Amino acid sequence: MGSSDESLIAAHLAGDQAAFCELVRRYGDGVLGYLFHMTGNLSQAEDLFQETFKRVHEKAHTFRGGRFKSWLFTIATRAAIDSGRRRRRLRVVSLDQGDDCDEGNSSQVTTLADDNAADPADEMVKEEQKQQVRRAIEALPAKQRATLILAYYQQLSYQEVAQVMGCSIGTVKTQMSRALAALARRLPDSIGVTK
Amino acid sequence: MNRHLTEQQLIDYQFKLASEAGMEEARAHLDQCEACRQRLAELNRKFAALDLLRDEVKPSDALIARTVENAARTRRARVLPLLSLPWLGATAAAILVGVAVLVVSNLGPQGQPGGVLAPTASEPKAAPAQRAEERIAPTSERSAAYGGKAGADAFGFKQALAESVVGGPLAAKPEEVAEKPPFAPASAIELVVLPRRENVQLTIYNGADLTLVRERRNLTLKQGWNWLQFMWANTLIDPTSLTLEPLEHKDQVQVQQLVFPPRLRELGRWLIRSETSGQVPFELTYLTSGLSWRAFYMGTLSQDERTMHLEAYVRVSNNSGEDYEDAQTRLIVGRVHLLDQIRALAQRQYPYGSPLSAGTGTLGGMGGYGALRDRNYGLEMRGKVAGELVESLEERKEIRKEGLSEYFLYTIEGTETIPNEWGKRLLSLEADGIPVKALYKYDEERWGTQTIQFVSFANDEEHKLGGTPLPDGTVRVYGRADEQGHLSYVGGTDVKYIPVGEEIELNLGPAHLVEVKPVLMDYRTEHHVFDQNGNINGWDEVRIWKIEVTNTRTLPVEIEITRGFETPYWTLTPPDSAVSYEKHDVTHARYRLTLEPRRKRAFEYTVTTYHGVREQSFPNAGVLDRN
Repeated sequence: MGSSDESLIAAHLAGDQAAFCELVRRYGDGVLGYLFHMTGNLSQAEDLFQETFKRVHEKAHTFRGGRFKSWLFTIATRAAIDSGRRRRRLRVVSLDQGDDCDEGNSSQVTTLADDNAADPADEMVKEEQKQQVRRAIEALPAKQRATLILAYYQQLSYQEVAQVMGCSIGTVKTQMSRALAALARRLPDSIGVTK
Repeated sequence: MNRHLTEQQLIDYQFKLASEAGMEEARAHLDQCEACRQRLAELNRKFAALDLLRDEVKPSDALIARTVENAARTRRARVLPLLSLPWLGATAAAILVGVAVLVVSNLGPQGQPGGVLAPTASEPKAAPAQRAEERIAPTSERSAAYGGKAGADAFGFKQALAESVVGGPLAAKPEEVAEKPPFAPASAIELVVLPRRENVQLTIYNGADLTLVRERRNLTLKQGWNWLQFMWANTLIDPTSLTLEPLEHKDQVQVQQLVFPPRLRELGRWLIRSETSGQVPFELTYLTSGLSWRAFYMGTLSQDERTMHLEAYVRVSNNSGEDYEDAQTRLIVGRVHLLDQIRALAQRQYPYGSPLSAGTGTLGGMGGYGALRDRNYGLEMRGKVAGELVESLEERKEIRKEGLSEYFLYTIEGTETIPNEWGKRLLSLEADGIPVKALYKYDEERWGTQTIQFVSFANDEEHKLGGTPLPDGTVRVYGRADEQGHLSYVGGTDVKYIPVGEEIELNLGPAHLVEVKPVLMDYRTEHHVFDQNGNINGWDEVRIWKIEVTNTRTLPVEIEITRGFETPYWTLTPPDSAVSYEKHDVTHARYRLTLEPRRKRAFEYTVTTYHGVREQSFPNAGVLDRN
């Protein structure tokens, strides 16, 4: 059995840096994926990823038990919201063209250039579908998007999503329902066939 | 129920968003309605597209490292356990007691609430702190048990960690060790930085781009099962070559297995079973690339160019991604079977990616070993420009040489610290008064119309060498320009591996003060042979050449002139007796002459070549005529 999140937090509070490192490794995939879906920009997501864990590091003593994952995503959500507010005031342009400029094409080219790619045509179709899904998610209002990502991709229960979002479970279900209805209109009919 | 379910109802049902009644109603309808079941299936197919984005991005090791580093830089809010500040609690209690007394005095004998105020007021403050203390205490104790090794290990593996697992089957009681090894968790438990190296030995194979590293570390084991975790991110370590052996307590400590946990890149864990607790020295052995060495030679010719002072150096470069402090350094010279074995090692399929591709962001796209060498070269050159190249000439260390069966081992005396991306040059050999032979060569087919300067000597005792083979390297030759000992650069070249006893000829490049100028003086054909139709099918060509040789140097020079005839059927009329020649090969003759300082000399020779059927008439013409 691996150590529990609580024991890692306790070890971190006791000054064990490796315990904190383990927490970052354990939840890194989920947090980065969440932030990437929230922002639609990898470099921005990576910045927020660092910001999130910086806050975890600073505020670890405020963790009062319960599920660490929910607490972590609450912090990540706040970091994303704060960043969104800042970005509304100041437009930030990444210098990394691969992320911001012509994103769709660059990722397609990257995929096609990959020697391990199975069939370039299939990869192209798949990449196009990914873009479609990504655009559909990005088009959702922020709360619906966050709810969907937390519940669907991060597999948090609706109760946990409510904790993260700071709202009632009923609100979460409403947001989720609306998000899915919107996606049903925008998603491709099925994988492998584009509209 | 006759009405079909709406899309929203289907979604709410599928994602359990509907109320209990709504769920039941939808379920009942779906049981009966094929059309709605199909619509639901269609919706599910549509939502399956969402999975395309699942696990789309993962944080790189670099991002994780950066995140941990940035977070560690920020100061964590400090928890002040109230219990550790008794004066604060006492002050609060005094105030509360004062308030209570005031309340009691106001309430009179019925003042029950005043009696419970003090404890209830102090509890909420003390309790969380106490709970925190309770949570933290065990880990603190465990950390203390490792002697505070959480500090950075500057010369360990990058972020190398030793992990000791406690709890469950690992929390073995003293005196007994659980028979069943623990499950290797995907997540780490208590991580303690691997202790720094006690010593390290590098054996660098020249030309193979591989180095054998043997290092000794003292690990603190507890009785029971221990996990040793290590990472090789950003290094060129071959993870499949890792071996770990205890140097003491061999009967009590067994290294059981090495596991590579899934999803965790560039990370491995050793399972160690120990029947003892405490510090145990271990030897860790592995192969890495990125460390290389090269030989350099500096020769200084005497003024008369009859002797040479030779200094040989080795330069060790480290681009392995790892710093090696106080390393005993051994260099392997020679090309033997060992090289093939190493190449085979380097080319085999690694289960978790080769060390080169494992660098992904850093080296993966650089094209492997060749590119790495190029990069090394670039780094070396940058190091030179920046003056970073360390020259350990002040404290000259002896380089001991030993023959090891088919190859040769140079051991640098003492230890050397070779940080990553640094180069270090060490003197390996020095010999004075080596007799050398200076020779100028002229061969149009090889060097055009330039005269080339050579210096030759042999790697043997007669030439004050011969102790060891000389490894591949670059030779630079300087000449003493004047009595004061000022040097002038004469030329340089690369030399191949020179075994003991073999002669070395150094090409120092074009000589501008010694000139050879061949001039064609006469040309004619003769002895024509005709076939039945009256066409020419055989003839001789006669050429008269005049060779002018000029020496503008202040030293006598020996010159070798090679002349080619493009056919094996040739005869040469000897020139004047002072200039001798020999048949060099089937199509070439070679003249040798010595020319005094500041002299010019010319000689002539006549060469006859045989063509067509005349070739058959003179099968040994070249030999016959000379005889």
